[in-house]
Amino acid sequence: MSIEQQYQARAKELLSGGAVKMVIGYGKGTTGNRRRPIFISSPDDVGRLVLDDSCIINLSGYLVSEGLLSDEKRVAVFLRPEGIRAINILAAESQLDADQIVIFGFDVNDNELRALKGIHVEEFADVIGSIRENNPGFADKELLEKIEKMTAQERFAFWQEEFAKCIKCYACRQACPMCYCRRCIVDSNQPQWVNTSSHSLGNFEWNIVRAFHLSGRCVECGNCDRACPVNIPLRLINHKMAVEVLGAFDHVAGMSKTQEPVLASFKKDDSETFIL
Amino acid sequence: MTKILLIDKLDNCVERWKAAGITVIGPVHRANISVYAAVEHASEFDFGLVLPDRSIKELFFPQTEPMLRYAIKKDTIDTIECMPPSGPRIIFGSRACDASGMAIDDPLFGWDYKDTYWFQRRNESVIVTIACIKADDFCMCTSLNMEPDSTKGSDVLLRPLENGKGWLVEELTDRGQEAFTQIAEFLQESADAPAQTAVVEKKFDLEASVAWLQKPENFDSRFWKEISMRCIGCASCTYLCPTCHCFDIQDEGDTYSGVRRKNWDSCSFALFTMHTSGHNPRSTQSARWRQRIMHKFNYFPGKFSVNSCSGCGRCSRQCPVDMGITETLQEISKLSL
Ligand code: SF4
Ligand code: SF4
Ligand code: SF4
Ligand code: SF4
Repeated sequence: MSIEQQYQARAKELLSGGAVKMVIGYGKGTTGNRRRPIFISSPDDVGRLVLDDSCIINLSGYLVSEGLLSDEKRVAVFLRPEGIRAINILAAESQLDADQIVIFGFDVNDNELRALKGIHVEEFADVIGSIRENNPGFADKELLEKIEKMTAQERFAFWQEEFAKCIKCYACRQACPMCYCRRCIVDSNQPQWVNTSSHSLGNFEWNIVRAFHLSGRCVECGNCDRACPVNIPLRLINHKMAVEVLGAFDHVAGMSKTQEPVLASFKKDDSETFIL
Repeated sequence: MTKILLIDKLDNCVERWKAAGITVIGPVHRANISVYAAVEHASEFDFGLVLPDRSIKELFFPQTEPMLRYAIKKDTIDTIECMPPSGPRIIFGSRACDASGMAIDDPLFGWDYKDTYWFQRRNESVIVTIACIKADDFCMCTSLNMEPDSTKGSDVLLRPLENGKGWLVEELTDRGQEAFTQIAEFLQESADAPAQTAVVEKKFDLEASVAWLQKPENFDSRFWKEISMRCIGCASCTYLCPTCHCFDIQDEGDTYSGVRRKNWDSCSFALFTMHTSGHNPRSTQSARWRQRIMHKFNYFPGKFSVNSCSGCGRCSRQCPVDMGITETLQEISKLSL
């Protein structure tokens, strides 16, 4: 049995027995290798679930859709390791109860699909731990090196050109499982903290605000980067911040569901004399 | 014998137009995306693109533009109105869907209030469209009863020659003719045959979909909830869409002075029609997606007798979760059987 068939069978069993109310997975898309998120609530529909190396979108963000988990019923979701880390963060930040989430874990290495064993998030500790060791990320290594070698001026010019393309469609935010705020700071207008206009200043403000809000929280799933319609290499920013956070706080995001949020927790014996 | 323009001569034309004070714009690459932008030389154009990632609308309706500068004094408020930069422009190498998209929006911007920002730019621009000889999986002009060589909204239509060396010239409007008179010496007579235009298969049944949308009971159909579950509520589709035209007016500044700007807005956003009271008539993503579809294929045609979609396919092409007009109307076509 292929992994896809195994997972279809498991989905059928869970839905028939009422163990979960919904399975969030991937279905066929408009073109050959496009996959779309699908939401299965009837055991008769599990045949629509697809699992292959084109299943890339991190689906964890759907779990915090308004009202989905409020009835305390369980929901199953297909997740790669980055998605599993996202569950840990969402749980650690009190956005969901990890026990309500049934994980269909999988990973793709060198185009090869493999199933990850486990049901609840804590059972994937080994897989997640190895991410800490290898820190693979989705970032384009070549571009990353190129940018690291630049002078500050060159780097500024690079990002200026990239951010000039931003149209403030907020696809990056909407696609990101960590951007769950019901009202984002850029949507706040009493007072207005950030310019809503998509001019150079507004675009810089937006992208920098997001970089800071994702520091120590981004799981490098690449959803933002793939969603951006103007191809801004957003994951580079988040990757850079992840590296900084690792160096400064020895913190890798999403290692466990009880891990303290690194930039949102306060210690009395902190060596800094102020907080930002 | 018909008039043709050879690619080899295009740089002469660009130079001639520029010498006459005309800004020449066309499909180019900019930092890893394709857009319509001003060029210095013809060599910057990429006519091999199916169509640029970003639509032509931003040349007429930019993502943000100043309308007014204001300064608040002790007893008065000084205001200075801002108008868009003025000057003639030639948009060389538009696509039929982009050009027709602008014509679709003309009645909207000229309806109860004449939008001077839009019409100044419209009146100063000549759109030279190149008929498509290739399409991709997302192109859907034919589903909207248009063709890769439709002339709607264009001032000149160019048909690529079979030998790939240039284009057959069809001047459609006085403005188009005037622009091409300026480069008459670079045109020539030829009997070369035009290439076959792209074959774009119909993706859905427009008439059946529209009939379904017009039935009042379908406003509350379960369908809207089902299809919208995966919608993440970004504005990628609306902002890339040539015909989406919603904007928001924002004041930016401090207590004493600032700028009033006209910014793109999108019905996908939760804030789109949020009232000051906190009440939102479209409080769910499904209500918002329904608005997008209803507006394009029911309300807009009800008012202006034309669908607010030109079939460019950008909404589907760039959607992070694989839904757009095509996916939605395909489902609706099935429902209406
Ligand atoms: S910032 Fe981007 S890469 Fe990081 S978690 Fe959010 S969507 Fe994923
Ligand atoms: S997805 Fe890209 S264009 Fe849209 S707001 Fe984010 S960075 Fe800007
Ligand atoms: S709705 Fe979609 S296909 Fe139609 S014009 Fe807009 S982006 Fe193009
Ligand atoms: S579909 Fe939405 S954003 Fe587009 S024009 Fe209509 S209301 Fe405006």
